Amino acid sequence: MSPSETVVEILGLTKRYGEFTALDSLSLQVCRGQILGFIGPNGAGKTTTIRILVGLLKPTSGTAKIAGSDCLRDARKIKRLVGYMPDDFGSYNNMRVSEYLDFFGAAYGIPRRKRNLRIAECLEITDASYMSDLFVDALSRGMQQRVAIARTLIHDPPVMILDEPANGLDPQARIDMRVMLLRLAEMGKTLIVTSHILPELARICDTVAMITKGKLRAFGTIEDIMRDVQQRRTFEVLLLGEDQVDRVAKIITQWLVERPGAVDVQASDVSPSKTESVVRFRTSLNDRTVAPLLTRLVNEGETIVQFREVPTDLEDAFLSVANAGDQLSNGLDASASAVGDDA
Amino acid sequence: MINPLIQREFFGILRSNRALLVLLCLTVAFSLAVLMRWPTDAAVDLSGSQSLEVFRVFGYGLLAAVLFLVPAFPATSVINEKNGGTLALLLNSPLSAFSIYFGKATGVLLFSILVLISSLPASAACYAMGGIDLVKDLGLLYLILTLLILQYVTVGMLVSSYVQSADAGVRITYSIVFAISFLSLVPAAFFPGAQGILATVTQVLKSLSPIPAVMEIMGHTGVGSAGLRTASTTSGFIGATSLSCFVFAAVTLSRLNYRIFDTARSKGVITNDRGLATRMSRRLLYIVDPQRRKSGIPWYLNPVMVKEFRCRRFGRFQWLLRLIAICAVTSVVVTFAAATSVTSWGVDAIGGLMVILQVLLIVILTPSLASGLISGERDGSGWELLRLTPLSAFKIIRGKILSVVWTLAIVLLATLPGYLIMIFIQPNTWLQVNYVLICLTWTAVEALAVSAAVGSLFRTTAMSTTITFVTVITLFLAPILVWLGRDAPFGFTTVEYALLATPVGAALNVIGAPGFEIYDLLPEAWWVAGVISSLMFVVLGVQVWRLTRAD
Repeated sequence: MSPSETVVEILGLTKRYGEFTALDSLSLQVCRGQILGFIGPNGAGKTTTIRILVGLLKPTSGTAKIAGSDCLRDARKIKRLVGYMPDDFGSYNNMRVSEYLDFFGAAYGIPRRKRNLRIAECLEITDASYMSDLFVDALSRGMQQRVAIARTLIHDPPVMILDEPANGLDPQARIDMRVMLLRLAEMGKTLIVTSHILPELARICDTVAMITKGKLRAFGTIEDIMRDVQQRRTFEVLLLGEDQVDRVAKIITQWLVERPGAVDVQASDVSPSKTESVVRFRTSLNDRTVAPLLTRLVNEGETIVQFREVPTDLEDAFLSVANAGDQLSNGLDASASAVGDDA
Repeated sequence: MINPLIQREFFGILRSNRALLVLLCLTVAFSLAVLMRWPTDAAVDLSGSQSLEVFRVFGYGLLAAVLFLVPAFPATSVINEKNGGTLALLLNSPLSAFSIYFGKATGVLLFSILVLISSLPASAACYAMGGIDLVKDLGLLYLILTLLILQYVTVGMLVSSYVQSADAGVRITYSIVFAISFLSLVPAAFFPGAQGILATVTQVLKSLSPIPAVMEIMGHTGVGSAGLRTASTTSGFIGATSLSCFVFAAVTLSRLNYRIFDTARSKGVITNDRGLATRMSRRLLYIVDPQRRKSGIPWYLNPVMVKEFRCRRFGRFQWLLRLIAICAVTSVVVTFAAATSVTSWGVDAIGGLMVILQVLLIVILTPSLASGLISGERDGSGWELLRLTPLSAFKIIRGKILSVVWTLAIVLLATLPGYLIMIFIQPNTWLQVNYVLICLTWTAVEALAVSAAVGSLFRTTAMSTTITFVTVITLFLAPILVWLGRDAPFGFTTVEYALLATPVGAALNVIGAPGFEIYDLLPEAWWVAGVISSLMFVVLGVQVWRLTRAD
């Protein structure tokens, strides 16, 4: 397998539950050794995608392949190719960590001598060697996550799918988790990681897939997505008092509408916040064009404490892409229903 | 203002489908029992024997309904609240511990009382038939059953406040209920007409069980009664039950505070890392120490089976060894008693008692081990993890079933010394004992198949454990209830058919237990057990196969 070889290939994946579409023609590829960040709000379809990939769920249409094996038809092969860590730990009562890993090793058919070495190795990778004799149901959340990754690693799968690995972890444990995931990527593993904690993903992922309402909204490297998103930047005007907020918001909206080429100004582009005494606005205009707005505000007699561009991070990028996608979907839905009404 | 917990608990149970089903089934069953013996001709039964026959079936049925159904509800009451996190919220609210306890207990009690109320139309019809006293018969029966419900609610809630999972609550509560109801009668059955301190002990133990008290109302002589003079246990039962309710409630109340959450995480100390003295003492105490460091699962063992053994709190090897020791010693003592004529019972009666004890052990042990085989995994996310492994559905089933088979086999084998002594005393019982052992094996196989299949149909362990217990108990003990009404209202053929449904009847028939020897149950009973077991294993197989497929 060459490093640039596609390991995970999803093509037109759709999953419907009656009228409800959980996944809508999802297509993406992940190359060997890459870390894919799978981002989306609750109910977006991330877990559905993952469950199809690991053979737990049948797609309504479309295909999903891992290392050339179909996730539905070659389910047994997929089980050896993929290590899946669900959001829920799945502990067994009265079992020690070593016994827990021993059971999963035996279930994968690893011979006893090799299994013992493998358990020690997996616990070492996850910095969990000291937990070997502890009971799994008595572990803290952070410790459980480490053991869960060790369990996922036990059969040495080339692809690892981790559902919310940083969920419920304290800051230090999150840093440790990040380091561990990078270590796994260095070992040549292909990782698909879902998370709500986007700054965590931004630091480790090569590629990001953003999904809302079952649809892929953006897919590519973080740099590519940022570049797309940053075509519309956010500016922040900090004012002296809340009584200024409405006036300043009105001036900014009017100013944006007056700009040549700024015909597509929407109400949501200007967001006043009286509690913060701040007006934020989004625009695709460049610095040279935006600068005169400050002069206009001052000339209108407003006292401006600060006028600055808000730096965009993955969270903003996600919100931007998700909102744009949702607006598009709503627009399509509205036009579809209008067509339906006309008919 | 009504305690909000009463509203939530009572209406919560009432709104559930199972509650509706239970009430509906009971009302229909009680009404049918009365209708079956309702006079069809114009002749007047002046002796009241006909109404007494109906009253007996009705009374024992009501006792069985309370015995089998009521413990399930309080057994999960506190632990579900604790595991769901709502107990912490309740303790953090202005409600006092007493209000919380009172609210929860009353909610469950009200539903259980509804079970009794559902029988009122039938009991009224029974009373209308004549020959039954309103106060001494009906009133006393309902008083005893109400006290019994109160006891089960308080003991269930006490157990529920100690356990860590809902299914453990159900398991332990049912075990205690059966121990109080049946095991407490064993000394009385062994030493009928005993004198001195032994008589006092057997009488006290007998007073704990509701069965002798109900038997007295039904006009039957109590268990272990000898001669014409029999001491009444009703007042003793009322006193003991009232006192126990008070004690159980007080202990549970003392636990309803923040200390209930105050449990330290296990440090996971391994015996191998401890001092020589500790290692040696644990070796002597446990023989198979559960805290020792284990070597990996060998290739020739099914990993699922090993996992099942390691996950259990009860049913692990050190517990099995203790159980085997108790079984072996008990069976030898019982048979030795018969051989040396310590009791007035013959070998046949002693054999019957041994069979009943073994059946009780199987009926209690099997559902608790087998009901959660699949639902236990589905309750957490263990099932999902199992589906991710390359283990086939067949291998999973085999591992899980084997983990129970070994346990039951060991328990059954443990009683062999008793039977061997029996054969030694009366060599002509060789064939008889062999047949009994085959019947007991079928009992175990059928109990296992039913428990595993019924349990696999439910998603939550508590639900599967409850339904499995009720199903297994009904399947194995309901025919005995029919047998109790063998002279009336049930005829010979009905009783024989009922006994065919369970190998327990066949075992008692073969051993020649009094009252069972007149029926001809073999080999049909084996065939019935075989068909039921095969059917249940097919259900289990299909369910597991379905659950291992992609959704």
